[in-house]
Amino acid sequence: MDYLQRIVILLILLLASFDEADARRIVAPHNYGRVIIANYSERAGLAPVVFNHWVHRAQYTCRLCHVDIGFAMEKGATKITAATNKQGLYCGSCHNGKYTYNGKTVFASCSGTTSRNDAVCERCHSLKKNSDNEGEFKVFMEKMPRKALGNGIDWEAAESSGLIKPIDFLEGVSVQRPPIKAQKDFSIEANVAWMSDVIFSHKKHAFWNGCEVCHPEIFPIKKGATRYTMLEIDSGEYCGVCHDKVAFPILDCQRCHTGAIY
Amino acid sequence: MRNNRGSVAIALAAALVVLAGAPVFSDGIYAAAAAASAQDDWKKEFEDICSKTQDSMSFTPDELKSLVGRCDALKPRVEKLEETQRKVYLKRLQMCRDLLAFVLESKTGK
Repeated sequence: MDYLQRIVILLILLLASFDEADARRIVAPHNYGRVIIANYSERAGLAPVVFNHWVHRAQYTCRLCHVDIGFAMEKGATKITAATNKQGLYCGSCHNGKYTYNGKTVFASCSGTTSRNDAVCERCHSLKKNSDNEGEFKVFMEKMPRKALGNGIDWEAAESSGLIKPIDFLEGVSVQRPPIKAQKDFSIEANVAWMSDVIFSHKKHAFWNGCEVCHPEIFPIKKGATRYTMLEIDSGEYCGVCHDKVAFPILDCQRCHTGAIY
Repeated sequence: MRNNRGSVAIALAAALVVLAGAPVFSDGIYAAAAAASAQDDWKKEFEDICSKTQDSMSFTPDELKSLVGRCDALKPRVEKLEETQRKVYLKRLQMCRDLLAFVLESKTGK
């Protein structure tokens, strides 16, 4: 069987396994990584919050929000309230009307200080409201290096080329730490002979995530101790906690399985 | 001249207050100061422990055991915080502890 035949068979298998659930997972680039937070909003007479990961990851590391500020990695698990924001926790860590980014004051969350449904509330409580997420994303994307799938942005290249400089420290919230000593890259053996191994870069992941985002909650395993499969990743475990949700999708096989596929 | 007079007046007033034993520092203020100090204490300990997570691979098993022990000792103090602070800092402390315990386990093989 030649290389072309193998690719055709692989494509047929991919198409055959494509179902309605997969169709739902394909979203527009500006909506990739979008999280709807609806724990308490509607009970309080507000639209659910639309959280766009792209806006925030362009400015901050994943670690800052998911470790220092304490946002859970699981959708809806943090249970953010207006009270927590008002106390300067969760969204209120930055959205407090005092914190500045690039010389501009970041708008305050509507923690009971503004009237309902006004323009301030609707900046976040924006589901089915007039928001220009798509337009803002297009403007932002124009300057960014491209990559297929997901947001269509090569975030890693954007960071390494200095186009974005994600902040990893928030005064009064973060703990002062020495720079991370990145662990060595290693290879993860593929479970099937026709797929190349994964070269896992600790350095690339540690820049965004530090240590605690992944260990031990997502990867409670010692290197090579457990074999996890693409099915588990596809169902949102291991790499699938981020990849396919915020980080590039797992359909982009050769971003991880970098070697030749036979 | 006016400033000098002002300074003298303030100094005299302060001296009178001290001599008269006026209850400027009431029990309430002492209590508030003590509470603030206690709060600073737990936060300093929290920051000291959690600032070490990024170096965790360079610690010996004994150092890691000590850090895990400090996390466990700090937990009851964090549990006494007000509800929302408790929720945030317990999670953060747990993440610190879990990482340190994970590294310890990977080093000792237990």
